[in-house]
Amino acid sequence: MTSIDADIVIWLNGLSGNVAAFDNLMRIAASDYLMPLVFSLSMLGLWFSGKNPAQRIRYQLTTLMGISALSIANIVVWLFNITIERPRPFVEYGDQLTLSFYPPTDPSFPANPVAVGFAAATAAWTINRKFGLWLYAAAALFGFSRMYAGVFYPTDIIGGAVVGIAIYVFTTYLRRFLEPLITGFVRLIRGLSAA
Amino acid sequence: MNTDPGVVRDLFAGHYFLFAFLTSLGAIQIAVSNAGTRGLWLMPHATMTRWLGIVLIVSAIAIFFMQPLWVDGPWAAGSVEADSLTRDWGKANWDELAGARNVNDIHGGLDGVKQTGWFSLAAVTAFAVSAIAGTLSIKILNTVQPKSGDEQITSAQDGLAGLANRSYLSVQPESWRNFRADIGEFWQNGIREADSWNLIKSIWGRSSK
Repeated sequence: MTSIDADIVIWLNGLSGNVAAFDNLMRIAASDYLMPLVFSLSMLGLWFSGKNPAQRIRYQLTTLMGISALSIANIVVWLFNITIERPRPFVEYGDQLTLSFYPPTDPSFPANPVAVGFAAATAAWTINRKFGLWLYAAAALFGFSRMYAGVFYPTDIIGGAVVGIAIYVFTTYLRRFLEPLITGFVRLIRGLSAA
Repeated sequence: MNTDPGVVRDLFAGHYFLFAFLTSLGAIQIAVSNAGTRGLWLMPHATMTRWLGIVLIVSAIAIFFMQPLWVDGPWAAGSVEADSLTRDWGKANWDELAGARNVNDIHGGLDGVKQTGWFSLAAVTAFAVSAIAGTLSIKILNTVQPKSGDEQITSAQDGLAGLANRSYLSVQPESWRNFRADIGEFWQNGIREADSWNLIKSIWGRSSK
């Protein structure tokens, strides 16, 4: 499995250097700042998007679930990291890869940025299928760009996506465990005229 | 890069806050223009507000990623190379631009926790700016003209629903009053209707009996 994984990364990374514009696009997509902000903005936009009271409370609860899922996904990824400690592709196959991103120091599996992206996309998907699909595409592009740059294996990306979706589903169940605290929090924000 | 990571982090924090603030303001404007929340609009009409939101987001992304062209930072002379430790301090050129922002957090980039903190602050600031601008627009420019009978309906609404036709300043006292009046009953009903294995019920339910 690892050799197929490595073959894919080496092949993809080998495509870099041919089209400068595409390489630059991948560098920007792989940035720590663009896609995470897109996911955060999607949650912020969702909070304010409801057109009537029923829709508004549904959107806002989903936003809270999405934000909670992002945080929990980070913890779960960290637990995987310290348990599995899979080295990054550029560590194992450095002589065959051209790294186009800074060399991260944390383990490879599962891909943290992808887990976060898929958690946010799943939250959005439960509200609006089309919007959710766009966010899934953004999360997939984020993962692809990191793979193209030589810092993740394909199985890290798949693992991250599974973790992100699973954590969102888990978070929605967790909400039942914590009500009326969650809806009460939204009610408090409404008391401040922001919900 | 022989620069103190703290200096790089301060530079990134300032740039990131502006980036997050402008994009948050844009996202809020797009959302409230679709939802009809006039009390948060920066412009008098929905279409203008939506376009302003799009322009803010696109401009913020362009400014953030192009800033290395005119601001000195850890991106010059080798920023196209992956390692953020080997770069010189200075301005980037066009060829280096795409990778200029890719700086590891141990070398002064912002980690996830710091980004979360700055984004939260930026989002709250963006909401405050929207509320102030919406209030000025309604109070001074008188952009919302209630139709006959509307005032009675809207005066019963609080929160974002109240902001559909009124300013933040006129809605806020009512929102807080309603929150204080309702929260006790809401909490008791919530505890009563919660599942038997609910954590809050198991902590709060017994003490409230």
